[in-house]
This record gives sequence, C-alpha cells and structure tokens, in this order.
Amino acid sequence: AAMAGVLRAAGVARRLLCSGLGVAAGPPSTRQLREAEEATPVFQYAGKVTRRKDRVFVWGFSYSGALGVPSFVRPDVGWKKPRRIQPTPYRLETEEKISSAACGYGFTLLASNTTDITKVWGMGLNKDSQLGFQRSRRDQTKGYEYVLEPSPIPLPLEKPQQTRVLQVSCGRAHSLVLTDYEGVFTMGNNSYGQCGRKVVEDEIYSESHLIHQLKEFDSRVVQVVCGQDHSLFRTKKGGVYACGWGADGQTGLGHYNITSVPTKLCGDIAGVNIIQVSSYGDCCLAVSDEGDVFGWGNSEYLQLASVTETTQVNVPRHLPFKIGKVKEAACGGTGNIVLTEEGNVFVWGYGILGKGPNLIETAVPEMIPPSLFGGSDFSPDVCVAHVRCGLSQFAALTNRGELFVWGKNLRGCLGTGRMEDQYFPWRVTVPGEVVDVACGVDHMVSMVKSFT
Amino acid sequence: LNAAPGRAPRQHVRFLPAPAPDGGGAVELVAARVPVLADHPLVRGPRFRKLKIGAGHRLDVKASGVFVLGIGHGNKLLTDLYNCHLTKVYTVGGLFGKATDDFSDTGKLIEKTTFDHITREKLERILAVIQGTNQKALLMYSNIDMKTQEAYELAVKGLIRPMGKSPPIITAVRCLQFALPEFQLEIHCLHETQQYLRKIVHEIGLELKSSAVCTQVRRIRDGVFTLDDALLRTQWNLQSIQEAIQNCQLKVETELEKTLG
Repeated sequence: AAMAGVLRAAGVARRLLCSGLGVAAGPPSTRQLREAEEATPVFQYAGKVTRRKDRVFVWGFSYSGALGVPSFVRPDVGWKKPRRIQPTPYRLETEEKISSAACGYGFTLLASNTTDITKVWGMGLNKDSQLGFQRSRRDQTKGYEYVLEPSPIPLPLEKPQQTRVLQVSCGRAHSLVLTDYEGVFTMGNNSYGQCGRKVVEDEIYSESHLIHQLKEFDSRVVQVVCGQDHSLFRTKKGGVYACGWGADGQTGLGHYNITSVPTKLCGDIAGVNIIQVSSYGDCCLAVSDEGDVFGWGNSEYLQLASVTETTQVNVPRHLPFKIGKVKEAACGGTGNIVLTEEGNVFVWGYGILGKGPNLIETAVPEMIPPSLFGGSDFSPDVCVAHVRCGLSQFAALTNRGELFVWGKNLRGCLGTGRMEDQYFPWRVTVPGEVVDVACGVDHMVSMVKSFT
Repeated sequence: LNAAPGRAPRQHVRFLPAPAPDGGGAVELVAARVPVLADHPLVRGPRFRKLKIGAGHRLDVKASGVFVLGIGHGNKLLTDLYNCHLTKVYTVGGLFGKATDDFSDTGKLIEKTTFDHITREKLERILAVIQGTNQKALLMYSNIDMKTQEAYELAVKGLIRPMGKSPPIITAVRCLQFALPEFQLEIHCLHETQQYLRKIVHEIGLELKSSAVCTQVRRIRDGVFTLDDALLRTQWNLQSIQEAIQNCQLKVETELEKTLG
C-alpha cells in the first residue's frame, strides 16, 4: 500500500514545518498498512442484479458461410487469412437471445422467441432457397447463393408482432420453422415433397420467394424434425405426420414413394402418445411417454436390426430394448443414441459409437460408462441431460452444463481443437454453461449461458 | 540412536594357544569361538555419526501440512514415490474482496472489489469448469494415443494421468466452506507448487468478477501419507519416528508395487 503523502522527515526544519503530516521513515507499520488499505477505493465489477448473458458459439467448416462469420470466408483486413475450419468454439454476436438453432447440410438457422418482426436468421448455403429469398445488394433482382452472415428471413406471418417462433429444423436442402399459433412454415427444395406442398416439375428452387405454410393437422404441431429429404411433424395429441422422400421408408407410411402432403403415421405408434421424434439422415426414432422407442426408415447400418433383417422399414416398429425408460432419442446418419430416465446413454448402429475404436457396429444398444461424462466419486450427481446427433457425430450435455462430443471429426466439427476422430466422449471447452447444441454435417452451433 | 543396543559383535573361530591339559610347558592349539576384535565398540566407535535425510515434495514457507522425509535407505524410496506421480490434496482458504501482488493476504494490496454478488452456486460452477479443463489437460499430457482401445479403457476407469513431466494439473476441486467473504476449497493436484494454488484462488476471484486472495494452504495428503500418519512438532522423537516408519512401510510398498509394477 503506497501511502500517499508519506514524507521522509529529512531535516529538523521540515519536521517543525509539517508537523502532523510528516511521518518517520522506515517500513510502514501494521496500523499504517491497515489505514492505507481502508482508504483504497473499492471497485465494483458486477452488482447483485447482474444477469447471466446468453451467447452463441459456432465451430466447424466455415467456407459455406454456415458459421456466420464473414471474415472467415472473405477477410475484411489485408493481413487476415481466410479460415477454412474453426476448430474450437467461436463466439457469434447476435442481436437477440437465440432460443433455438438448427444445422443443416451446409447452412444454419437461428431463431429467437421474440415478438419483434425479425424472428429467424439464416446463414450458409442458399442454392435452394432454404434460407428464403435473400436479396442481393449488388443486383436487386437476384438473390444470394451463399449467405455469410446471419441474415433475417422474412416469414409471411399474419400477426408478426404476436406470433412467436418456437423451433427451427434443417434438412439437406429444406428447412422448417414452427410457430406457436400460425402452424409450420417450410422453404427450400421440394423435389420430393419434403416442404409439404405438391411437387412442381422442373421447379427452380434457387432465388425462390415461396414459403409454404402448413396448418391442417389433428392438433397443434409441437415439434418439427427434418431428415435428409423428408420432414416429420409431431402434434400435441401425440401423433406423427410425415412427408417427403420415402425410398428408405423414412416417411413410415407403408410405402416407398414420395409424399407431398403431411400424412399421419400408423404402425406400432398408432394410438401411442409420442413425446419426441428425431431424425437427421434416413432413419427415424420416436419416443413415447411410457419410455418405449419406435423406429422406421433406413436400417442398412443395423439401426433396426433388433426387430427385422430387412434394410428398409416403412412402418414404425417398436424396438424392444430392455434398457429402462427412455427419455430422449437422437438419430444420426449411421448411428443412434438414446438417453434413459436414470441418465444413462446407450448407442447402437455403425461407425464411431463412443466405446473406443473396437466397437464399430452393434444392433443392440450398448451403454457408455458414466465415468466418461465427468461422474466420479468426487461428483457423483453428474449425469447426462440431453443427447444430440449430427450426421456422424454425437453430442451429450450434462446437467452441469458441459458438452461432450465424439464421432468422426469431419472438417473440425467436433470442436475439440484437433482434427482427429474421437472414439470416446471428450469435453469441449466452452466459456460458459452449454444450454443446447445443434449438430450438423460439418459444423455445430451451441447456445451458452455465461458463468456469472 | 547411538545409545540403543547395537549389533552383537561377530564371532569367529580362532585357533588359540592354550596350555595342554596334561601339564608341562607344551602349548596346544585349541579351537575357540571368540568375538572379532574389529567389532569391539571401542574400536568401531558410534554406529551413526550422521544421517542422510531427503525431502519429498516441496512445501512453501507460508504453507503447512504433510511433509514427507526419507532417512538413509528411505531416500531411494523417495525417488520411486516421485515417479509414481500420485495426487496431493490441499485445503486452500481464500478471501474475496482483495487482490494482492503475490496472491496471498500478506502481499501488497493492488485492488479492492465488491463481492456481495457471489453465491455458492456461482463458485461451484467455476470449480466445475476448472475441473473440466484440467481433465482435458490430464488426458492430453498422459501421452497416450487417444485412438487406441487401451486409452478408452483407462479413461473409463479414470486411471489416465501423466507419468512424466507436465504442467500443474488439478484433478478435483470441491468447496468445503462458503461464508462471504471467506471460502475454503479442497484441491487434488499433480505436479503443482503452492504459489500455483494461490494463483488459482486469484483467478477464481477474477472469474467471479471480483478478486480473491489466498489465506491458507495446507497439504493434507501426499500420495499415501495422510494427516494421521504425520508427526506433530511435539512428536519429533526417536520412538514416534520409528513407529511411524514401521506403520507406513506396508502402505508405501503396496503403492509402489501397484504403480510401478
């Protein structure tokens, strides 16, 4: 503590002049230190009412524009080099708090549940207008093929200042936006009817203004899921509707043709209250309120081999796994993952499943040991809260807000900072508590709350 | 030590001249067991003139706690224990609101901040993150190829740890007490120094948008040696030291066998 005003008493005269101000030389005594300490100003960096901030982090392949950082693709300063891959989480500045995000095949959608006019932003590939029509600034008649920055997507809402966007989902070349009272909006490629409208021959999808609205379902739609070229809708009453490409049976309607109007699924899920649906490639999984798992679609990678030998299943079949009550399921391109009520994670399918390099394929779910997710005798109450799937990657979120990833590290999409594939769950260092994560083919987006 | 009864002198067989039993001046050689003169205490001198004492992991001047010493042949065990790379456990006490230059409360004050916004929940969140990043460092510095099956199996059991030189790694942190402005943490770490622990306390303060200084660092466990095995200042006498060595012998042997094979 540098005492302001400690004067060295040099001479007698000085001492007589500044009596009371001058102090004897030498090391400051305890009392002086204490007084100096009490006199120093106190800084306040955060008050009691400081809120935790919401942030978005992105990582993966950036040349498609899917990360939303234009300087990675077109550097704005001469000395910067274009960054092809972002190997670790990078913060993306957004105007509003993002409540839902989805990664497609080379593009991303971010949505906020605000009542402002702009509710959905998109970035990345736009060759099939999966991000709506983005008017080019250089030529007002044309649209952008690649959107490098989060750009607002204008939705044709009836009440734009009252409707809220609940969820977004992206497939290979189409995207779905779910609102609370105005149904589902679809845009993008419709060559297989995945947008829920009739297929028009030789339709040109790029620079298209068309955004279709779907309203007629048995009850309100509460979840939308995009597979590679098909769409699934889950309604409040527990029913599932599908439309789009069906050659692998992923529409689950009993045939292998394309469907252009959302039709209700039957099979083993008829009459069952489904609480979650998931799909990303050509296989689909549904979870009922009683914890049963139903699957349909592609089974070339043993995803449904527990019930059938055929490689395509076009009717939902119950998967009789004895692993406990299932809470959440996620489907990837070749592998599937489920989370049970006890917090255990089970994987099956083909590829890097997360149990070391020796486990390549299995038809029966295998459990990933909970010690890999941070649970130890020091912190026994750590368990997995959510599971997500990309095309060949898996992600798990724990209740402590940590993100674990594993799978094929395609163009740095795992976010570990290394380019190698990861054979067992690995922690991703994110400066904050991860609330949700969306996995794509070669990039990932996460919604994070800051620590303090 | 020198007063304790030493080894008995060696005995050897010598052929000594002794008078013949049948009288006369004839001298016969008789075998007799006599102590070797070289082993006589007056010839040999005191058994111990100096003791070789080696120290285990370093402990700061400002810190306290378990400090392992090796005596004589125990120094070889010390190097073996160092190569085992076992974790050490510390109790670290901290104080919010101050920042000093050497991160402890006796240093020069640099800044004072408010701390009433800090809650136990926020502290535990920061501790979880510290554990997470150090977990990654643990796996990375252990020099095992992540792509092998054995790396997966070791990771499941939690037995991966760096067996060579590495920067300080914290394997576990826990908050024992929290009463603003004071708090106490239990830290399990590898290859660390006490100043590093004080720096960690300072960084926790920064992360919580305030500042913190370290008031106490106490080592409560060093590998296999815990506070129960440690001798207090009043117990630094021959009897207690010998008892302590005997008690710990078995533990040290089993640990060395388990780790180094």
